[in-house]
Amino acid sequence: MTESALLADVLRTARGVALAVFPLAALFAVFQVLFLRLPRLEITRIAIGTLLAAVGLFLFLLGVAVGFMPFGKAIGEAVGAMSQHWLVVLFGAALGFVTTWGEPAVRVLADQVEQASAGAIRQGLVLLAMCIGVAVAAGLGMLRIAYELPLVWMLVPGYVLVIALVWLSDRGFVAIAVDSGGVATGPLANTFLLALALGASGAVAGRDPLTHGLGLVALIALAPIIALMVLGFIVRLKERSTEVRS
Amino acid sequence: MLTLLKLKLPETLKAVAPLITVITFLQFTVVGASADVFLQFLAGAALVTVGLLLLLTGIDFGILPMGRFIGGKLAEKNSIPLLLVVAFALGFATTAAEPDVLVLAGQVDEASQGALRQQPLVYLISAGVGLSVAIAFYRVVRGFSMRALLTVLLALMIVSTFAAPAGWIPLAYDAGSVTTGALTGPVVLAVALGVSAVIAGRSAVNDGFGLLGIASIGPIILILIIGLLAR
Repeated sequence: MTESALLADVLRTARGVALAVFPLAALFAVFQVLFLRLPRLEITRIAIGTLLAAVGLFLFLLGVAVGFMPFGKAIGEAVGAMSQHWLVVLFGAALGFVTTWGEPAVRVLADQVEQASAGAIRQGLVLLAMCIGVAVAAGLGMLRIAYELPLVWMLVPGYVLVIALVWLSDRGFVAIAVDSGGVATGPLANTFLLALALGASGAVAGRDPLTHGLGLVALIALAPIIALMVLGFIVRLKERSTEVRS
Repeated sequence: MLTLLKLKLPETLKAVAPLITVITFLQFTVVGASADVFLQFLAGAALVTVGLLLLLTGIDFGILPMGRFIGGKLAEKNSIPLLLVVAFALGFATTAAEPDVLVLAGQVDEASQGALRQQPLVYLISAGVGLSVAIAFYRVVRGFSMRALLTVLLALMIVSTFAAPAGWIPLAYDAGSVTTGALTGPVVLAVALGVSAVIAGRSAVNDGFGLLGIASIGPIILILIIGLLAR
């Protein structure tokens, strides 16, 4: 990697982080002046935390841009040269699991769920359900590319299933589940899974890589919703059976 | 704060270890990228690890309390117009600042063959998110059923999926994921938890969550409808 390319990555990442932090800081400043009037100690705490998070996000995204993107491309190329479909599906599932496992927003959500439920719903359980969901989705996404199935065939039944599960699942899991779809598609998944999808669709002649890459993102957003609602459904069934027994 | 950093260190290492292990395994079995690329990956992994540690610590230390303060105050004020304005502003501003949204708007611009320009589209998508966040907050305050709201929104989404031109579908569903960045997500979450903590009779589990999800559904429906109209 040349110095100028590195510098361009640094600048672009810094700009992105600054743009993400600015509206939050502005909103908080307005609130502080108009309504909150928090003491200085709290302000210092919030400022330090926000600064820390901004620096952390910058390093994280820079690491993804500089280190993970090129390797993602290498994976895509390797997959493009492969002829065994099952291996590509396995790749997708494995990468889906480990990227979700490392995704920052996923961890924050899982932590908050444990806190909000006063420990009734464990952080690890939410995390695991989401990782398994994304692993299955990424595997299916690869399968879809290999066999050229239309995206709608997976999305529409998937969301119809979500509607059914909204009513069947334990109430406490419904809201958490829909949130999980939004956080699963973070920078790690985007880097590795998109590269994988682009590589795989490049291998199938006459496919539009862009459409496939985007389609995979849609599946990754859907899968953890279903996974957590199924978890909620199981919890509800268990509760019912204990009620019947007691 | 130092204790918090120390507390987050094992979690961070646990978060990145499987990814690094799997990538290293792939490198030596099937991928076989050049040494340069692999070293670059390892350097990137070091940056990602340190970054994740600071990010998770900073979110716990400052970002989540910030959101909870704002949410608590909003609920205390007990003014629905104020709540709706703040919710809309939160969704709009954070989405308009998200770099991915610009990329997405560029793709929609292309798909519509220039009928829709990139910049107005960024505002349109951001307005879609702002509106969804406002609806979601309104639900928390009024306490109507999450199940009913989701059913209506998802049904609308499925129907517009059938109606929209095929080329727009992946684009629209991608829009759902670009709206929740690594900072926005935790803030929206914390604001909602703050609101639900103050209003009597709201449970944190049922009412503190769901906003991010609803904020993702809004732009999907919006872009599908744009596709429908652009045909």
